[in-house]
Amino acid sequence: MLDFLQTLSDGVLFGAIYALIGIGFTLVFGVMHKINMAYAAASVGGAYAGLLVLKAVAAAPAWMVFFGAFLAGGMLGWLVYVTCFHFIPLSSPLAPLMSTVGMLLLIDEVIVHLTAGMPQNYPAMFDDVMLRFGEFTLRGDLLLVFGISVLAMIGLLALLYRSRLGLATRAVAQQPIAAQLCGIRVTRVNALTFVIAGLLGGLAGALIGASVGALSPLLTTPLTVKGLVVTVIGGLGSIPGAIVAGLLVGGFENLFQQFRGVTERDMYVMLLLFAFLVFRPGGLFPAKS
Amino acid sequence: MDFYFGLAQTVGIHTLLGLSAYIVLLTGQVSLAQAAFFAIGAYSAGMLTVLAGWHVVPALGVGSMLGAVTACAVGFPALRVKGLMLVVATLAFGEGVRLFFFNFDYQVAKGGIRVGPLGGEGFRQIRFFQEHGWTTGEVMLFIWVFVIAVMALLWWFDRSRYGAVLRSVGEDEVAAQSVGINLTAVKVSAMTVGGAIAGVGGGLYAHYTTHIEHANFNVLLATFAIAYPIVGGLRTVFGTLTAVIFVQAFLIEGLRFLGDWRNLLFGALIVLAMNLRPHGLFGRHGA
Amino acid sequence: MKKIAIAVAVALAAGSAYAQEKTVKIAGFGAKSGVVRSFGVNSEAAMIAAADVINNQGGVKLADGSKAKIAVEFYDDRCTAEEGISIIRRIYGTDAVVAVGPTCSNVAEPLFGILQKKVDDKGDSGLQMPVFTDVAIKIGLARISEWAFRNVPNETTMYSSLFYWLKTKYPDVQSVYGGVEEDFAHSRASWYAVMKDRAEANGYKVIGNSKWLVNDTNFSTQVREIKHANADIVAISAHPFTTCGVLKEMQRQGVKPKLLVGLTSSSSLETLQGCAKQAEGIIIPTSFAPVTKEGKAAAETTAKFKGAADLHSMAAWENIFILKQVMESEGISADKSQLQADRRKVRDGLAKLKQTQGLLGVTRRTEDREADKPYLFVQAKGGSWVVLHNPL
Repeated sequence: MLDFLQTLSDGVLFGAIYALIGIGFTLVFGVMHKINMAYAAASVGGAYAGLLVLKAVAAAPAWMVFFGAFLAGGMLGWLVYVTCFHFIPLSSPLAPLMSTVGMLLLIDEVIVHLTAGMPQNYPAMFDDVMLRFGEFTLRGDLLLVFGISVLAMIGLLALLYRSRLGLATRAVAQQPIAAQLCGIRVTRVNALTFVIAGLLGGLAGALIGASVGALSPLLTTPLTVKGLVVTVIGGLGSIPGAIVAGLLVGGFENLFQQFRGVTERDMYVMLLLFAFLVFRPGGLFPAKS
Repeated sequence: MDFYFGLAQTVGIHTLLGLSAYIVLLTGQVSLAQAAFFAIGAYSAGMLTVLAGWHVVPALGVGSMLGAVTACAVGFPALRVKGLMLVVATLAFGEGVRLFFFNFDYQVAKGGIRVGPLGGEGFRQIRFFQEHGWTTGEVMLFIWVFVIAVMALLWWFDRSRYGAVLRSVGEDEVAAQSVGINLTAVKVSAMTVGGAIAGVGGGLYAHYTTHIEHANFNVLLATFAIAYPIVGGLRTVFGTLTAVIFVQAFLIEGLRFLGDWRNLLFGALIVLAMNLRPHGLFGRHGA
Repeated sequence: MKKIAIAVAVALAAGSAYAQEKTVKIAGFGAKSGVVRSFGVNSEAAMIAAADVINNQGGVKLADGSKAKIAVEFYDDRCTAEEGISIIRRIYGTDAVVAVGPTCSNVAEPLFGILQKKVDDKGDSGLQMPVFTDVAIKIGLARISEWAFRNVPNETTMYSSLFYWLKTKYPDVQSVYGGVEEDFAHSRASWYAVMKDRAEANGYKVIGNSKWLVNDTNFSTQVREIKHANADIVAISAHPFTTCGVLKEMQRQGVKPKLLVGLTSSSSLETLQGCAKQAEGIIIPTSFAPVTKEGKAAAETTAKFKGAADLHSMAAWENIFILKQVMESEGISADKSQLQADRRKVRDGLAKLKQTQGLLGVTRRTEDREADKPYLFVQAKGGSWVVLHNPL
């Protein structure tokens, strides 16, 4: 029983990472109704860029590196916007998708070139903190990631529902033409959406690097796949959905691994997705139409 | 000369992969599952020639049929899922199939050693072509017979009512339904044909690389499958062929002299192509 | 006018004298992309460095007594089977007499599969090109074709020796528990077919093993299994990224086995770059460390060509020297019209070899075209690899 609880809690806590990536995917989808396939790659790229802080300031504390990743993520987000969404007419749905795939490949390749493909040690905060309740343990650093996800969610929801930018963003998401007629600069809103998602992504990448202990280009593909799965399960466009779905997927994934082994684990995660698609296609928090 | 024949083989097989996604894209469905049907074709055709001693042609037929059957089975639930959710669903299906093969063991003793797929280690020694003395040129011609047949079939579809029906569903489902087109039949049939094409492609792939493993049929291959028709444009099958030649012959082999820069150019050129020609190199139908 | 004619004649004569300098082309190929990029970069550097040394000493002696310089051309196969096959066909179409590579075992297997299986089998249309592998290490691959040869360490021998030595040095250490990267051909085979087997053969009790995948990031369940097993030795058959992930999780959960054993190819810079602190004390058998005079010289020369010396790249270095020896003993012509005959001679020469000179000592060549290389055990100490025990 304890084993089960421990597995579940380990998985759920790790799911906070998926939650952060899911938030980014769902934010872009919610506003522009497009998938940004390069999001996880840009997040990891931001995390790598954060390591440059260590080059500038020797023995910089972890939070500085995270902040560097945060900023770099925002810049990469803007870059992805410009290369994939700004010039391509939004009426052709396939072109932006393929373009983001191109950016994913490009960002991955740049990372490999600059680091010769070698895993990079990543600084962490609270990685030696383990809360113990008898035999039961909780990773301190993952609790931090979870805390940040919740803060990010609150911050984003506040932004979306309490600020002018948020109002403009929601207007563009619902009725881009009407929004333009009201004087809202659609391109500016879209660009800002990407920047904000990118900022969050950079931070997510840094936290992932910190939780895993090392950054590697190997992270990109599984994060992209899991991020997309989480986004769909949570409900496309729903930020709270992404968080709950992230934790859910994290927990189930670990349980599947415990009971069926690591080679079959991901098959069951896919089955979980299909179960949602069959029984609740809108996801946990379906978008109100 | 061998090298050029080998390159033509690669182009041929990738064209089949691209065409399997092309026909599905015509109906407006973005399917990342084509690599899965490709895998099914590869493993089944391989197993038939290696374990059961079949000739490669009937083995390819079975591979194609299994690809078609699986695609048909996927086609029905795919109807319920629209747009980008379909992308994720087909991606998940593709990963599921890959993981199935990761866990799939079926070995038989043949002449003192065990042959057949062995889970994570893959399926080695699919040497039908070499064992029967086929030269590189002969294999190339063999592959291209299939490619030309499929291209001719799809080109003929485009000239016939079926093609118009497919594209009308892709353009506007509501309008198509309102003129009495059966959306289910159209979308599932396109998926099935796509699965059949991918099955043949996969079977050929297994025999030309002689060794297949689950990792060959990953997200990247699934992405390539849709990349070819998107970059080439949906107006004509030649778009997909051109895109395959552009990627495999020009980018991968032709730019070898650029050394390290080749990989960077890859992603950059895709981004550039999409920005300059959002509807693909050949454009889209009617545009 | 006459002066110009003489100048032209001299230039032509000089030109043709220059053109008469023969070259023997050796093609290298391996992964210069993705996470395994450093392997290709280092192998290329080692090959060019070795060729440079040989050329400075005059070059290779041909059958007709003249000397030829070695020219190395390296191709990037991006660790994919299709490109590897395309490259070997491309190499076949050039005037290279032999190919050295590949890096990845998942490229080697299909690539060897398209080579002619048995020499002189007229019914087999497989490619007739000798391939001499420097890095791809998955067990038993050279058996696939008589044109395939490898100069990679024999993991069975090394781990057998390691476990034997550990048993004699630490007699109270009894049990082993493994950690395996299941979805990567090399690491998977190395646990089940090598480490587990050899540990049991040397009297250890193998309690079991935990599994993960090559790009996994959460090892809490597996490390808990390791903790419960409470084995004296934890053997990790995985590449640097997941090895580091597991080691960091072990630190977090307070799992401290008496001894840590790692996978051959993880005895590289990558592991130390990723987790030097947590990897402290891990013991890995390897077929190269700069402990001999030749080894140090090879490492220095390779560094001049911007490559790092490790067990993989130094195998490439050794390969060039072995090929020079084979080419001289078989007497190749370096003449384009005799290209296929030259390739056959190189293959036959490699097949005849009973032993070769390696950087650590004499390497025995086996019947199935593999190598039995001398080895030593290294340990991660203070951020670098230190020789723990040299059985030579």
